Amino acid sequence: SYFSDDDPTLYGDIYEDLKAFVDSSLDVHRVELAMVLYPVFVHMYFELVYNEHESTAKSFMEKFSKDQEEYYQNDISKLATVTKPEHMKGNQLMENFKASKFVIRMSRDSYTHLKRHLQEKQLNLLLNIIQEHLFIDVFDGVPRNKQQINLTCGGILGEAQRESNKTKVFYGLLKEPDINVPLEEDDEQTEGEQTDKPKKKKSKKDPLLMKKSKNDPNAPLISRIPLPELKDQDKIEKITMLRESSKRVKVDKNHPPSICFYTFLNSTHGVTSINFSEDTSLVSAGFADSVIRVYTTSPNKLRSVKSGLELELIDKDADDVFERMMDDKTSRDMKKLNGHSGPVYSTSFSPDRSSMVSCSEDGTIRLWSLQTWSNLVCFKGHNYSVWDVQFSPHGHYFVSGGHDRTARLWSTDHYQPMRIFSGHLSDVDCVQFHPNSNYIATGSSDRTVRLWDVLSGQSVRIFTGHKAPIHSLCFSPDGKYLVSSGVDQIINMWELATGSLVAQMKGHTNTVYSLAFSRDGAILSSGGLDNTVRTWDINKIYEDIDTDVDASIPIDGSNLLLGTYHTKASPVLALQFTRKNLLLAGGAFVVC
Amino acid sequence: MSHSSEKEGKVVGNLSGESMKTIAESVAINGVGDQAAGFLAEDCTYRLKQLVQESIKFLQHGKRRKLTTNDFDMALRSNNIEPLYGFHTPDLIPFRFASGGGRELYFNEEKELDLQEVINTQLPKIPLDVSLKAHWLCIDGEQPAIPENPPPATKDQQKLQSLDTSIKSQIDKVNKPKTSSEGKSTRLKLKGADMVKLKDISTHELSVEQQLYYKEITEACVGSDETRRSEALQSLATDPGLHQMLPRYSSFISEGVKINVVQHNLALLIYLMRMVKSLMDNQTLFLEKYLHEMIPGVCTCIVSKQLCLRPDVDNHWALRDFAARLMAQISKNYSTNTNNIQARTTKMYTQALQDERSALATQYGAVAGMGELGAEVIKTFLLPNLKLLGERLKTAIEGPIINNVDKIASDHIKKLLTKYLPSVLKTVHSVSETVEDYTKEYGYLGPGLHTSVIKERTTIVTQTPVSKPSLNIQQSGTPTTPRFPSASVVPRTPTTPNIPHQQKYVIMSSQGRSSTGTQPTSLSLPTSSSSTSSSTPTIVKLVSNSNQPPPAPSSSAATVQGPSGQKYVVMSLPKDG
Repeated sequence: SYFSDDDPTLYGDIYEDLKAFVDSSLDVHRVELAMVLYPVFVHMYFELVYNEHESTAKSFMEKFSKDQEEYYQNDISKLATVTKPEHMKGNQLMENFKASKFVIRMSRDSYTHLKRHLQEKQLNLLLNIIQEHLFIDVFDGVPRNKQQINLTCGGILGEAQRESNKTKVFYGLLKEPDINVPLEEDDEQTEGEQTDKPKKKKSKKDPLLMKKSKNDPNAPLISRIPLPELKDQDKIEKITMLRESSKRVKVDKNHPPSICFYTFLNSTHGVTSINFSEDTSLVSAGFADSVIRVYTTSPNKLRSVKSGLELELIDKDADDVFERMMDDKTSRDMKKLNGHSGPVYSTSFSPDRSSMVSCSEDGTIRLWSLQTWSNLVCFKGHNYSVWDVQFSPHGHYFVSGGHDRTARLWSTDHYQPMRIFSGHLSDVDCVQFHPNSNYIATGSSDRTVRLWDVLSGQSVRIFTGHKAPIHSLCFSPDGKYLVSSGVDQIINMWELATGSLVAQMKGHTNTVYSLAFSRDGAILSSGGLDNTVRTWDINKIYEDIDTDVDASIPIDGSNLLLGTYHTKASPVLALQFTRKNLLLAGGAFVVC
Repeated sequence: MSHSSEKEGKVVGNLSGESMKTIAESVAINGVGDQAAGFLAEDCTYRLKQLVQESIKFLQHGKRRKLTTNDFDMALRSNNIEPLYGFHTPDLIPFRFASGGGRELYFNEEKELDLQEVINTQLPKIPLDVSLKAHWLCIDGEQPAIPENPPPATKDQQKLQSLDTSIKSQIDKVNKPKTSSEGKSTRLKLKGADMVKLKDISTHELSVEQQLYYKEITEACVGSDETRRSEALQSLATDPGLHQMLPRYSSFISEGVKINVVQHNLALLIYLMRMVKSLMDNQTLFLEKYLHEMIPGVCTCIVSKQLCLRPDVDNHWALRDFAARLMAQISKNYSTNTNNIQARTTKMYTQALQDERSALATQYGAVAGMGELGAEVIKTFLLPNLKLLGERLKTAIEGPIINNVDKIASDHIKKLLTKYLPSVLKTVHSVSETVEDYTKEYGYLGPGLHTSVIKERTTIVTQTPVSKPSLNIQQSGTPTTPRFPSASVVPRTPTTPNIPHQQKYVIMSSQGRSSTGTQPTSLSLPTSSSSTSSSTPTIVKLVSNSNQPPPAPSSSAATVQGPSGQKYVVMSLPKDG
């Protein structure tokens, strides 16, 4: 498709001519028209390379690469290594450009302006490129300004088409299952002592429960995707969760949080991932030497189940049968899990904490039992390194993303993936389940965040605006918003319903590796390689959304930063609020 | 071998055809044509760049800042390329640079290892296991000042603060956003009202915890329990966030010295000096503001005429030595053109030396102080006064009235002089100078010094040319220079007098030390080589470019040039050292 017999020297002139046209156009159109320059530049370069005009291509690259936006420079330096047609085959970035069109959103006025210019000049070379490789998404309305464009630009292939963000997303939370009263009483009877207190709390909690159990029009049906049935154990868990939530501390602008930091010492092998369980009673860490270590943060030590012979002796009708199953001799503060053969890039606990999944550079995902402390299943499907894995908040399912540019949905009882989400143009670096388990968000090295429907496997949202690979994602507790960040140090907050950028928070000075909302969603915490934990005022964003009529302009995040807390020399790899809103952070002390 | 072109600060690296040929030869493929080599070079450059870009992904997911060789291996694996076999080093591969005959070459130096030595060395210590430690990063938005957190005010901030008091409030503001915001608003109002620029009153309030801590520490430091004392000193030396209590500590020390010097309480003076040392060692503290209180105390411990009850029995010499080293450390770390600490202390020492009436103990202190300040000071201030000092010593030792105290003092001074002087005199005098020349110049002390200089000279000349196991300095990105002046001039505690160990590195550097001259430094040997009983003492000398040529042509010295122009001279000494 790149074949052309044009004079190679023409390219430089035509590009310069186009640039002159952009520069001479009216201010309102200039910024929109300027977006055309980068894809034209790239494709011109490819044509030159493809037709073996190596030296012309090199000088073309040298001459015009400096004019391109700062956030494209990384890609440009990658492209500049391609100087021969035989290199073009197999170059991922190059194939992306070849296979898909570069999307540019433009107002109708600017578009007609451009069209007129191209028709006047009758430059086949330029026309061909624009027709073949560019998709101009025309909208009616006022042309966007530089700032607006900058916020959504930066993807490998430009912006998202508006079409791709039209599907309805059920972002509401699932109806809470009714936890019937008898069970509640059962629970209290087993605990015996405090029959009075929990009742009070129950009544206090009731309105909150009621609100959730009311039908939210934006919530998916509970049967939309099959979810595992609640076991007795899960119900008890839910009750303790409610009870703990009632003791929640308020954190907001005037009540800064307390942060407890878990530092890994002597980790010469390099900690590659840290993960807290939902109830923050367990911490797991993946290491570069393929080991996983699980620690307990509570006084309850980690124990294994007794051996088969011993288990047979247990009275199965006893009330404390679960307690009797455990072998006290194996009680430890830390358990080591061996099995992977490469750095462990992510771990995730199941909601009931009976199992854990981990993923590694060796291309496998492993399911571990936290009762026997052994490997149960090894999921092979990803061809290359698996960068991230996350358990569904409802258990049973988990999602992974990796170097093969796909994200996959698995269930613990199938050894093959149930869904393969493909569409990203580069590595899927991070994945996250929506709180209602019906959607999955993925962040990628192609600098886009996508939202996928678990039911259909389709991409339902594409968020563009990041300028570098994305390494962390987090949904707000109410499921309405998604925050993302990564190498570009910018934290973006997206609204799922409209697919628009709501706020942008800048402040970090190095890659952001972890994001966490407080349990009530009032503040966001972020941490990363710059050895800081930062907190951001999310309540203020909500207020501004309510007052601001013009939703198209995102809120400037410069005054949202609440606090910056430096660690001594530990990059912040994990953040999680406990149910009582204490912030836990994890990192490994790095001796420089 | 590598040619690179500059483009807006970025270096574009390319492999050359020539290196392709070299590589081909190394795998026994000869006669690669120029054109073929050129093609290969271009393709290799492209593939290498692809791999490096790929390995960056592994770096990012490894959540590190530095690319490792492992990242590259994994990139190879993910591109389905056969991995590199063999052992790989976790460290940076030290490329050496060499040039000659118009060619520039980077090479990876592979050293021959003596198998015997490898076998005989003790196994290195097992590294500590990974452990998890929980601590408070912040409590209700405020960061507690504990060792696990960064210090509330960094050394740089403290330095700024010492120059401008208004900064203190800013630092506090950062740390206590809530309380100070109230104070700020009132202050702003004031400012708006009458526009008078008021200097901030900096308050030094200590919290209850800090007060308790202060009490505990001071009691432990001067108490009788040695284990508690070492714990307290350790705390002073390592805890961050002590800067708020510094004014208290400095006055505690200065008052303590004042009282105990009058009462001749040697033990307490030693304890106080150890406190000073701990504070000096604390990397998070900037002491300059409190030196006006500390220096007089330290100086007192160097040159006071009596420090203990029984000068003839008690070992107050150790205290003087220790304090002298402390003083040297202070002037090294804090002496500037404005405060002139070094010049002022040197002046004090000189006065003590020249004064006929000063006690011999005082003169001992002055000599020790000068000796610690380095060769330059010795040359300019101590040597001219030697004759005078010699006269006094002569009268003390050989005079008609022999005072026991004075005699002991004289012996100590003589010992001290033989410790500091020979290395300096060696550079001042030529080999040919005789005892007479020395006597002429230094009077009574001449002959003694002459013999010690000769002894010093012979130890170096008699190096055997037989190659002995020697220390190889692994040259990584930054050359292994002595780290800090503060770290390299470490005064030892007076309880452990300076007994020369049988094995020692002497690392010298003349870079940036012109004012004070070279400072010998003693470091204990790493366990790996110290355990080899057959190994001989080794001297490693760091010589800067300007210091030409490498010393002692008769010795077996190997000079290696690093990229920074610094040279490492590695040589071996015979066993008797």
